[in-house]
Amino acid sequence: MRWLRFAVLVLFITILQAGSLLDVIAVTHLSVRPDLLLILLVFFAVSCDSTEAIITSFTIGFAADLIGSVMGPRMVGFGLLGTALAYLHRVVAIRKMPHQSAAVFVACFLTGALVSFLTFLTGQPMGPRAYTALLGTSIYSAVVGPFLFLPLAWWMRIKTNRLSRA
Amino acid sequence: MVAAGTRQLSFGNCWLVMARKHIRVWVPKRRISRFGAPSRRMLFTWFMLVGLIFLFAPQSLTNRFQFTFARIFRWPLSIGRNIPLLVRADKLPENAAGRREARYQNYIAYLEEQLRQKQQTVEALSGLRSRFHALEGAKLVPADVITRSITGLNNELLINRGSDDGLAADMFVMGDNSVIGTICDVAARTGRVKLFTDVSLVTQVRVGKLQVDMLMQGVGNSSARIRLIPVKHKVNPGDFVFAKARPGFLDGPMIVGTVEQCRRDDDNPSLWDITVRPVCDMERLSSVAVVVMNP
Repeated sequence: MRWLRFAVLVLFITILQAGSLLDVIAVTHLSVRPDLLLILLVFFAVSCDSTEAIITSFTIGFAADLIGSVMGPRMVGFGLLGTALAYLHRVVAIRKMPHQSAAVFVACFLTGALVSFLTFLTGQPMGPRAYTALLGTSIYSAVVGPFLFLPLAWWMRIKTNRLSRA
Repeated sequence: MVAAGTRQLSFGNCWLVMARKHIRVWVPKRRISRFGAPSRRMLFTWFMLVGLIFLFAPQSLTNRFQFTFARIFRWPLSIGRNIPLLVRADKLPENAAGRREARYQNYIAYLEEQLRQKQQTVEALSGLRSRFHALEGAKLVPADVITRSITGLNNELLINRGSDDGLAADMFVMGDNSVIGTICDVAARTGRVKLFTDVSLVTQVRVGKLQVDMLMQGVGNSSARIRLIPVKHKVNPGDFVFAKARPGFLDGPMIVGTVEQCRRDDDNPSLWDITVRPVCDMERLSSVAVVVMNP
């Protein structure tokens, strides 16, 4: 694992996610945007070994918290789902694009639901259309996600055949 | 690997030969040394613990991480602020370009409301002097917007003014001569503004000429909703919505938005379901003013 490249990548994606640039590709009246940090989470969970996947999941979750409304929910949610996905990848190969897409969708939806619940625990109210927006984000991320895996693998110098389970 | 040789053990007066052959005892090799890399389980546990500490620690402490991040990366975060506007420039309605005109309209609306209130006060309290100017005696602290989030459910701004500039929680924030939200968190040099369209912000308002206090809650995506108002009150689309005065924070009503839609509530048809749009163009907002009363 090239940790310096990982740090630069996470920082870049975090700034991109926090800024307004992604509004250009926002769709529907709910302004649904893809969750790039979650795509990153799934990429590392299926392309690294379990130890690295745990570290990357929690780190990406921390980065997501930095640009979120409260600190903590995303770190816990991303960490849990990232670790679970990494262990699942040891049993079920997530190699083809449809499989990657499905993994991104499920991870995005479950993480979003968990994050919403944890945020609710801290006393923050949930919006009336929170789950509609979450579903939209999950679908959008699932569509965009697999296309980003190749440039991510190139940047991280990870051979694409490593995306298959070891 | 530990190799044990032939051994004789005594038990009472008997010598028993327990084993006359080599016994190989396999001891599992420790996967990690005491000071080496932690196991996956330990790693997961520690990270989870850190996450839970962040989750349940007071937000005033954990927010410092967010403020620090925003302050350090202020420049790259503000780079793409106008690009979505440029992309959608052709889609925006023509009157959106007249931002100055909208600002004047908001100011006129404020003056009209002020005049109406004045007349009522004069009629009701003839002779008594009352403080009515919403911003009389207030100090306006100008601030630049660092980042803004106005598309999701959490509608917030990060501004470059904080407690060092006299800002505190619950202070009203204005943009384009209208109230846009309140301060929710402050660091030394940074502040977070919750817009009234944020799902967690409830604002006490009045609509048009109605003398009824209402609660307006944000629903995200630059809109808010007013409910629990009986349909006997006449509310029309286009009516101005005013933030109600709050002693110590705002001395008089200030315009917040306009009624965009007014229909009967699906669950209870005897009540209105009113959708409110801000009169300030949040997307183009680059600077705001924080109302500091009685500085």
